[in-house]
Amino acid sequence: MSDILINKVKQLLSDKAIDIFIGHGEGTGGRIRPIFVRTPEDAEQLIFNENCKQSWANYLLKPEVKAAGKIGMMATKHALRAMMQLASEFQIKDNEVLALYWDNNELKSSADFKEIEAYLASQNHDILPHEQEMIDKLNAMTTQERWDFWQKEYEKCIKCYACRSACPMCYCHHCAAEGNQPQWIPVASHQLGNMDWHLMRAMHLSGRCINCGACAKVCPMHIPLNLLTYNLITPIQQEFGAIAGMKHDATYALSTFKTEDKENFIL
Amino acid sequence: MARVGVFVCHCGENISATVDCEKVAKESGDLNSVVFSTDYKYMCSDPGQTLIKEAIKEHKLDRVVVAACSPRMHEPTFRKACSEAGMNPYLCEMANIREHCSWVHPKSEETTAKAGDLVRTIVEKVKKNKPLQAIKVPITKTAIVIGGGVAGIQSALDIANCGHKVIMVEKQPSIGGHMSQLSETFPTLDCSQCILTPRMVEVAQHPNITLYTYAEIESVDGFIGNFKVKIRRKSKSLDENLCTGCGLCTTKCPKKKIPNEFERGLGNRTAIYVPFPQAVPNKPVIDRENCNYYQKGTCKVCEKVCPVQAIRFDQEDQIIEVEAGALVVCTGFDVLKPNFFPEYGYGKYKDVIDGLQFERLASASGPTKGEIRRPSDGEIPKKIVFIACAGSRDPAKGIEYCSKICCMYTAKHAMLYKHKVHDGTPYVFYMDIRAGGKMYEEFVRRAIVEDDTKYIRGRVSTVFERNGKLIVRGADTLMGAQPVEIEADMVVLASAGVSNPDSEELAQRLHVSYDAYKFFAEAHPKLKPVETNTAGIFLAGACQAPKDIPESVAAASGAAVKVAALFSNSELTREPVVAEVNRQAPPVFSTCTGCFLCEKVCPYQAIEREEIKDRNGNVIKTLARINKGLCQGCGTCVALCRVKAIDLHGFSNQQMYSEVMALLNF
Repeated sequence: MSDILINKVKQLLSDKAIDIFIGHGEGTGGRIRPIFVRTPEDAEQLIFNENCKQSWANYLLKPEVKAAGKIGMMATKHALRAMMQLASEFQIKDNEVLALYWDNNELKSSADFKEIEAYLASQNHDILPHEQEMIDKLNAMTTQERWDFWQKEYEKCIKCYACRSACPMCYCHHCAAEGNQPQWIPVASHQLGNMDWHLMRAMHLSGRCINCGACAKVCPMHIPLNLLTYNLITPIQQEFGAIAGMKHDATYALSTFKTEDKENFIL
Repeated sequence: MARVGVFVCHCGENISATVDCEKVAKESGDLNSVVFSTDYKYMCSDPGQTLIKEAIKEHKLDRVVVAACSPRMHEPTFRKACSEAGMNPYLCEMANIREHCSWVHPKSEETTAKAGDLVRTIVEKVKKNKPLQAIKVPITKTAIVIGGGVAGIQSALDIANCGHKVIMVEKQPSIGGHMSQLSETFPTLDCSQCILTPRMVEVAQHPNITLYTYAEIESVDGFIGNFKVKIRRKSKSLDENLCTGCGLCTTKCPKKKIPNEFERGLGNRTAIYVPFPQAVPNKPVIDRENCNYYQKGTCKVCEKVCPVQAIRFDQEDQIIEVEAGALVVCTGFDVLKPNFFPEYGYGKYKDVIDGLQFERLASASGPTKGEIRRPSDGEIPKKIVFIACAGSRDPAKGIEYCSKICCMYTAKHAMLYKHKVHDGTPYVFYMDIRAGGKMYEEFVRRAIVEDDTKYIRGRVSTVFERNGKLIVRGADTLMGAQPVEIEADMVVLASAGVSNPDSEELAQRLHVSYDAYKFFAEAHPKLKPVETNTAGIFLAGACQAPKDIPESVAAASGAAVKVAALFSNSELTREPVVAEVNRQAPPVFSTCTGCFLCEKVCPYQAIEREEIKDRNGNVIKTLARINKGLCQGCGTCVALCRVKAIDLHGFSNQQMYSEVMALLNF
């Protein structure tokens, strides 16, 4: 698989179809890291195997990457969904990012939103069974139990903001957590500060989370952060019939009003 | 350092009965930055206001907190007073220690302590207030009247006679509404058409009124004084400028068996039709659902016979955009089809009809030319049973309210019947007779005494057919709930007045609130009966609740005066409580990420896109920008913005934060 990918990227770079390619590379200790390929020679470092499940969509909007020119990216299903969600938030345009993705062991490339949407529509986007199990377990708890569970988890947080860096939807230049006039989110990693931060993040991702799970995977303290945002996916889908990242022109469920929307929450 | 003055009002005894105002004033005086504090019996009175003005001068105050009632009523009063003393009015804030404190708590130490807390939060807020300037916006002196029933007609004529332009939008092919269907009107028994049609003509001919019939409101954007309204003019398949209204097409149309809506199904009409002979405008429309040409592709008889070639089969709906300063909603009501009362047999028996159908039978222009004849066989009925409250005041049927007009029109029906069929006997089953109104009780008395109508107090349990007669079975509760059975020739159901089926959708399009029955809600049931909660949109007639003609007309004139008063000024002064997207030095330009999730959430369409370009005209960044003229300061975008790039003047993040922190004693 790696060879097919390397040859394809080499060709794209030598044809000047793209100027930079974001792909998977060998990291230390057998880990996977993102690599940014600018020349055909460098493409040799690319790999693709069953461990390459990471989405690099969070690099798409970085000024350093954008400055390089036309971007190509090795895209997982989640990276493609991130692209569609970013497009719906006007962060990337049609035919701006060339995505390479595996469709039944065939390497496809497309920058066309319609094509990517069609591919996504053919895929399964359910939350993984072991994750769903955790969500069900959380929902079965009493309010107090759930509160205690999360307080215990938040206690571990060291406010490194790795979750924010890994999240493809956390692209603000100036995060609300950094605002200090006023300082809504306390800086220190104490109980209140940690809870404020994670609740704010969950709210900001409601209806936007594409369940890639990057936040939990990168957390050095192993907080199951993805459960916070995943738990908001189902209710939003049930109430408004939308899941994030499936359409490039989707309207945000929480800011759009349709006359047929249910109003069952109004007493 | 800010110099804050705190003024605690007793509101007579409204506040001082439960709150120790002197103590609140004294303790407020010790707060950081507060240089003066006092209390007074009526702060809104002239001496109270003078007290504030003098304190501003004497103590060089630059911030004022008035601890009194809700800001809704008196914030403008106190801001004006501060302004007269030379202060920017938006540096004055109110702490609501009446509705939020004294009225809802008993007299106690805690109540006084809470009042003190409320004052403290507002003192912290006001310190972060910035001077603001009021926004002036021009007014478009055109009113849109939605609905051309009697309320709409009255409102349009009143506004137009004040010299303002009016656009009337009517859904049906003709104006006139339900009133044009009525035979004679209570309590005077004058002919409905005779009093209404001249006014319909007046609307059509008035130089200040533009009439769009067969048209609907597509969307409403903007705000008081500056609405942008899209009107869908449904295709009539006709060039109205050419059509002379000769009516030849309607006589030649081969589709003749379409139930006539105006006659409530008691008569037929053609596919190209004028709803009724006195229609305004008296020009036909093609009902495409029933037209041979549109359904099968051949016919075009109307086109062939038209002497002026006015038929346009390829005409499409037209959407026109108009600007208006105010809207008057007069969309009226609907009559519930009584088929939800299966026990009364409506729909099953032809001679069980509703009140509006009886109006058509009794009308000189109706299907029977005013003779009361049974729909089934055209015989003159000798016994008619009128059932009042068919649906109304019946929680089991989901309508708990009284439809208000039925008692009166049922008495009228009985009377009309008796006047036309002298040997007939009218019976009325009723729950209570509600005849409040000028000459109303006398009218019902007349039906009972002079016209010998048999009133039976009780409910009807069932109506069924036996030997060609309709058997009405009920109880007479004034005779010890004794069962009653009447062999009738015809049954008339006074079915409930309900809101229009599309009223909810229209309310949402107009951003006005509505009640559980989907009737439009007034801003205040007593003091603002024709206003809605949306400034610049007014209500009149039965779209608010079932109303009779005098009430609808009175409300329509009331709404017209509100519009005229609004139009009497050349510009509108608006509060500068508007949102703003922050701006920063390049290369950031703004913390706004340009995700535009705020664009859709804005109920006033006030969020625009602004492109930041470099010297060569290349777009570097696209940012949100808020149109100050459109923004109503609701703050929804502020809540939605993840980056907090939007802030609301007068309620900024800083102000809110200070308020909350003061409350938490930080």
